[in-house]
Amino acid sequence: MRNEHSQHDAENVSAERRSFFKKTAALSATAIAGAGILSGTRAMAEDDPVIMNTPDWGHKIGYPVTKNRYGMPSPYEHNITRRNAQLLSSGNWQASIAMCPIQDLSGIMTPNGLFFSRCHGGIPTINPNEWRLMIHGLVEKPLVLTLEQLKRYPNVSRIHFVECPANGGPEWRGPQFNSIQFAKGMMSNAEWTGVYLKDILKDLGLKPSAKWMLAEGIDSSHMGRTVPVDKVLDDAMIVWGQNGEALRPEQGYPVRLLLPGWEGNLCVKWLGRLEFAAEPFYAKEETAKYTALKPTGKAIQHFYANEVNSIITNPCPEKPWTDLKKGDLVEIEGLAWSGMGTIEGVDVSFDGGNNWVEAKLKGLVLPKSWTRFSFMYKYEGKPLILASRARDDAGYIQPTIDQETAVMGVESVYHRNGIATWEVTAEGKVNNVQVRS
Amino acid sequence: MFKFDRKFILGASAAAAVAMLATGCFKSGDAAAPSASNGDNVLTYANGKRVIDGGRYYATVNGKSGPYYVNTDTENGGYTYGRTPTANELEAWNTTVTPWRLPPKGQGTAEEGEAVYEAKCVMCHGDFGSGGGGYPALSKGNAYDNVKTLKFQRVTADAEGPIRVFGNYWPEASTLWWYIMEGMPHPDTRTLTDDEVYALVAYIMNINEMEIDGEEVDYEYVLDQEKFAKIVMPNKDGFEPVIDGANGLENVRAYFADPANFGAQKIASADERCMSNCQKETAKVVPITIEQKEFIPPLSEVRDLPEVENTAGVDLEAKNTYESSCAVCHGAAGMGAPVFGDKKAWAAVVGKGMDTVYANAINGLNAMPPKGGTDLPDDKFKAVVDYMISQSK
Repeated sequence: MRNEHSQHDAENVSAERRSFFKKTAALSATAIAGAGILSGTRAMAEDDPVIMNTPDWGHKIGYPVTKNRYGMPSPYEHNITRRNAQLLSSGNWQASIAMCPIQDLSGIMTPNGLFFSRCHGGIPTINPNEWRLMIHGLVEKPLVLTLEQLKRYPNVSRIHFVECPANGGPEWRGPQFNSIQFAKGMMSNAEWTGVYLKDILKDLGLKPSAKWMLAEGIDSSHMGRTVPVDKVLDDAMIVWGQNGEALRPEQGYPVRLLLPGWEGNLCVKWLGRLEFAAEPFYAKEETAKYTALKPTGKAIQHFYANEVNSIITNPCPEKPWTDLKKGDLVEIEGLAWSGMGTIEGVDVSFDGGNNWVEAKLKGLVLPKSWTRFSFMYKYEGKPLILASRARDDAGYIQPTIDQETAVMGVESVYHRNGIATWEVTAEGKVNNVQVRS
Repeated sequence: MFKFDRKFILGASAAAAVAMLATGCFKSGDAAAPSASNGDNVLTYANGKRVIDGGRYYATVNGKSGPYYVNTDTENGGYTYGRTPTANELEAWNTTVTPWRLPPKGQGTAEEGEAVYEAKCVMCHGDFGSGGGGYPALSKGNAYDNVKTLKFQRVTADAEGPIRVFGNYWPEASTLWWYIMEGMPHPDTRTLTDDEVYALVAYIMNINEMEIDGEEVDYEYVLDQEKFAKIVMPNKDGFEPVIDGANGLENVRAYFADPANFGAQKIASADERCMSNCQKETAKVVPITIEQKEFIPPLSEVRDLPEVENTAGVDLEAKNTYESSCAVCHGAAGMGAPVFGDKKAWAAVVGKGMDTVYANAINGLNAMPPKGGTDLPDDKFKAVVDYMISQSK
């Protein structure tokens, strides 16, 4: 590399000169279009032209720092987006979901522009100066806060996933999507900044009779959900920050409720009102929807935590092994998460879950957060049925599909966390399959 | 819809597997101890009660909660931000209708409700609440009969599934009143009067063939606050755990303390998990039979430069208005509105003459509100109409 501020010793001067001559050569090479070869060498078939030639970005000056005041991804990344499917939409795109491209994420943080998004009445554009939060009901001192006042409370930042409980829900009866984005993309992970609700409530005097809290949005759907005070007084947060910046509109700008580990739907966006009561509220999204019907004919209402789960992200249908050759050492990588605790370990299987070996966790291992796992594998070019099975520190382990459906049947829509499997073909293609009896 | 006939036997390993019930590997039940090493009972809160969701509690110990450092000085209260809401403010925002808080006084009949329904609801929810286009159905016939379908499971391709509409599934009628008032009509909520909501609830009960206090909710039935209070939903007891009453929270805690209730699996320690020969002999690999692949945009891992959208000659302001105000009805089939981009449908519209088209758009037509619910001046709204026509040629 050139040292821009070099001491002018002989070595550096000569290095700079060499660099200058190379550039001159490259420029003249470009000028003679296509024959761009350094003088005195002969082209060989194995030569990679992108190494042998200087591309435009290697000699033309780039755009100034004054462009893109809010930075954008490289235009070459334009295919890395959230995606939709009509199947997962209630008629229009205002009551729908956008799936996160988890196949293209690294680490455990989801960029805000790729965070999965679900709404029931479209995404509102709320003026933060006209936003208010009202806390009332069974409290001694009801309260109205502006956004500035809310942000005066001491803040905490926590890394948690948010997952729609319908993640994987279309596949109770069999696999449907040959895509990880659509099979498991109703979730994302971020660092959330806000205030613990219990810290606000300290001064409001929650009455002993208060057992439930209604959280209600101020968007056109006015979506409400009932939250038990147990969660309110544990780790429920009112958040305004997402990965270091303000919440995105799709995530509830200016403020949402965050119930770590619990159904995304419970983490009410565009939050405006919290009411405490002695009895539950029976909101639409905890009766008509977000209830899990069992074969007994009874449905679980108030199904809170997303249970322990995992998925192999590499390989996956979008990231196959078709470029690998026999003998290549390859990392099997994936995501594990639990709304009930911290990931303790993940096993992987090559035969669809009959035999398991323990994978390694890597990176940060945090409560109610995505956790990365990794297993080094020598590729043999043979068909495989890859599976992963996570367990958490509350003692839960992912069920097989048979175990889960034995209790839940195939009509419960929500909270499907049975072991997921990918078929890897002899050619390295990856297909979504299920193992069941 | 699903077929499982393309099952094929998992390779040699499964065929050779020792017959071993997978359930033999896991013990379920709330006796399982957490595998955490700190020795505390981490499945209870500080007050000794079970964690309500069946998961972990991370107490703050020595200034740390789990992996996070905590400034415990922030936890003592003493904050003086904000103010007390006024009585009017509380009333303005607290419009929630629940089983224990009746809707405001008012009344309406099913007949009146049908008129409102035909004007404001039918374009999404279909004739007589039949649904369509992805929007929820409101009725599938007699609510009392349909409760029986809740035990149906589509385990074979031709099996009938459970019906889950208002009449036969929802536990409380208050939810319907609340939801219609706060969330409907979808493109313009909080615009119905209390009487209209009563009328719509009566109509929806009518098409679900429901009764109140032994009396059929027929066309002339007048639903008011007093009668509303007497509604008992057919599937009131179809949910678990029981969340009502003094034991509501305790019932939930007990429910999630038992993994068998919700299809979860627990192990007492990592050593207890099955590592080899875990599958039943009957385990098979099930491939996708009917593949869903209508993805927008299509899946792609290609890194290239995007095509530049040609917006030359496009009124971007009109385009934005279309996307925010018109696409909800014109963007998809099944809404009764001419679909954006449908050349044939729009040719028919334009065939009426542009004066008529503009007038209809400005004054409203059928289910379409005046100016599509926007408050644009006429010329701006005409530009939106022009944009929609220009993109549908």
